[in-house]
Amino acid sequence: MFKTIIAATAIAACSSAAAFAHVTLEGKEAPVGSTYKVVLRVPHGCEGKPTQVVRVQMPEGFYGVKPQPKAGWTLETVKGPYEKAYDNHGSKVSEGVKQVVWSGGNLPDDQYDEFVFRGTIAADLNPGEIMYFPVVQECPDGAKERWIEIPAAGQKASDLELPAPGLKLIPAAN
Amino acid sequence: MMSSAVRCRAWSLVSTLSRALLVMLLWLPLAAAAFAHASLNSTEPPDGAVVAAAPGVIRLIFNEPVSPTSLKLTRPDRSSVPLEDVVVKGNALEITPPADLQTGTHLLSWRVVSEDGHPIGGSFVFSVGHAGGPPPDTAADSGWPVWAGLWTGKVMLYLGIFFGIGGVFAIFWFVGGDTATRKPSLIALGIGSAGALISLGFQGLDAVGEGIPFLFSGSAWRAGLGTSLGPTVMFVCVGFALAALALLSGKGREARWMALSAVLTAAFSLSLSGHASAAPPQWIMRPAVFLHVAAIAIWAGALLPLMLQLRTKSPEAADSLQRFSVFIPFAVLVLIAAGGVLAYVQVGTPSALVTTAYGTVFLIKLVLLVVLFVLAAANRWRLTQRSRRGEPKAISMLVRLVAAETLVMALIFGVAAAWRFTPPPRSLVAQVQRDVVVRLESPEAAADVTVRQGDGGAVSLSIKITGKDGQPLDPVEVTAVLGNPQAGVEPIRRKAEKTETGWTVPDLVLPLAGRWSLRLDVLVTDFDITRLEGEIEIRP
Repeated sequence: MFKTIIAATAIAACSSAAAFAHVTLEGKEAPVGSTYKVVLRVPHGCEGKPTQVVRVQMPEGFYGVKPQPKAGWTLETVKGPYEKAYDNHGSKVSEGVKQVVWSGGNLPDDQYDEFVFRGTIAADLNPGEIMYFPVVQECPDGAKERWIEIPAAGQKASDLELPAPGLKLIPAAN
Repeated sequence: MMSSAVRCRAWSLVSTLSRALLVMLLWLPLAAAAFAHASLNSTEPPDGAVVAAAPGVIRLIFNEPVSPTSLKLTRPDRSSVPLEDVVVKGNALEITPPADLQTGTHLLSWRVVSEDGHPIGGSFVFSVGHAGGPPPDTAADSGWPVWAGLWTGKVMLYLGIFFGIGGVFAIFWFVGGDTATRKPSLIALGIGSAGALISLGFQGLDAVGEGIPFLFSGSAWRAGLGTSLGPTVMFVCVGFALAALALLSGKGREARWMALSAVLTAAFSLSLSGHASAAPPQWIMRPAVFLHVAAIAIWAGALLPLMLQLRTKSPEAADSLQRFSVFIPFAVLVLIAAGGVLAYVQVGTPSALVTTAYGTVFLIKLVLLVVLFVLAAANRWRLTQRSRRGEPKAISMLVRLVAAETLVMALIFGVAAAWRFTPPPRSLVAQVQRDVVVRLESPEAAADVTVRQGDGGAVSLSIKITGKDGQPLDPVEVTAVLGNPQAGVEPIRRKAEKTETGWTVPDLVLPLAGRWSLRLDVLVTDFDITRLEGEIEIRP
């Protein structure tokens, strides 16, 4: 009984840290070697201004990325070489989408929206690590919100002012 | 049977409670997730704004409702006061500041807690009337008519002291109280008194940064009296009065002592104000100014009475000339020695003579001094002896050369009065030495930050950023974050502006002395930020 409460409190404490961040991911963890749908949640604009551009940087080891188009937004991707080649159903891929950009939209500060893309998590990544998706929100008059900080060794995401949303890697589901 | 049923019911109650507790605990993070934590969207007046009149209400507008935990206002005089009159209106805090806001820069430090229970804080500054601290001693932008008035007043003041008071001294100490020679001194005393008034009024205009029409308001004069020139003018007027009294009382011992005390009072008055008197070390500089002024008064003042006596072929002229000749080398020696000390401290390095306006004025004065000494030498070694023997040609020559000497003296006063507008190199050097350079480092970048401190807590930062191992780095954006945790001042953030040579934060105001934390958020690329942290010392 007591253990259950402690466990619940621990879970509450851990997840509430993530809840403080502004831009977050809907899913919190994903198995390595799987194809995974990332749902980016944008809860507000920049200092009261509407969001017009959302840019997401793809981490190394997240390949074969396909973003989901969104009505009212122009979808673009920035492609480049990966640091190493990854296995795509037996063939090697060594380049692909490094950045996804939704632009030309208008998401007012007091409204909420989600941005979705899919990709494969490299099988050789270590479970327990966290994969980060740095995000930049752009608003009118040059206002920007950045969620780009990745904790250094010994740091927690909650120590950061501008934490990038992260995805915890878990062992592959066999 | 019974007991087992009770036990069973009791167990199910505990179980229900624990399940409810579990559900509540699991809901907590979700509830928190519903509110992202608060951030400040804008303020009224905006950060860094200069407003004409003190705001009746200060608004902090957040992106969601917040509760204030601590609000503190630091005033231009660096005193701070808690702000307690606060109303929460939707997403905004409406603060009624104290009614007696002064002009100058105020810093408002706020700390609030948002609905998710997360405390956040920050600071912003606004200025009433003008940025900075209480009004400085001199404002540089009161315009040329005021400057012309200041210069004219100063020259008139000098004429009054040197030809007026100095003249009276000469009348009683060199020319034997010959009242026929008193007319120029009387006129000079009049000019000097007018000059004292003009100086005071225009000094007031300069202090409050107003134009000539403002001269007819009492506050310009009060401002003038409030500057370091106030005591100078008061003492110099006492000097003028003593000199006039000596002239009126006629020949006699009292007149001689009154004339001497007039010279001493005038010399003392000038040692109370001006660039030279303000320079350290004051125990040398103030006496040096005093001796310099007294010696000039004795030399310059003697010229006109002597000239008049010579021209009227007064029988006493020979004796007067003799007395003057015996005494004047000592006066000139004191004048040069004191002047040398003043120049040495004020100019500092020889190169400053050509590189600064103060140096230029000094060089012009030096050239005029050479001319003056040539004239004086000619008078002394070529003409004095022959004039005393009564050679008419020598006397008329001497009269003409003494007139020329007087003219050169007047020119020197005009040049010296221009120093009112040029900061001495000494103080320019001091300005440079007030810059402090701090180096901040992170694994990804390093920054050399030059902190320049102006008046009233005005601070500007010049930032040079290099990458890892001194590689060049051209960041997308640089933000400076400054806080003073000991004084309870929450961080102020300012975006740096890009310049040709680096980055700059030109218009910070840190109205509290002490150690401030400085953090630079350097956006290396759009997705890569590095934070450099350090401390800077803000002097009072």
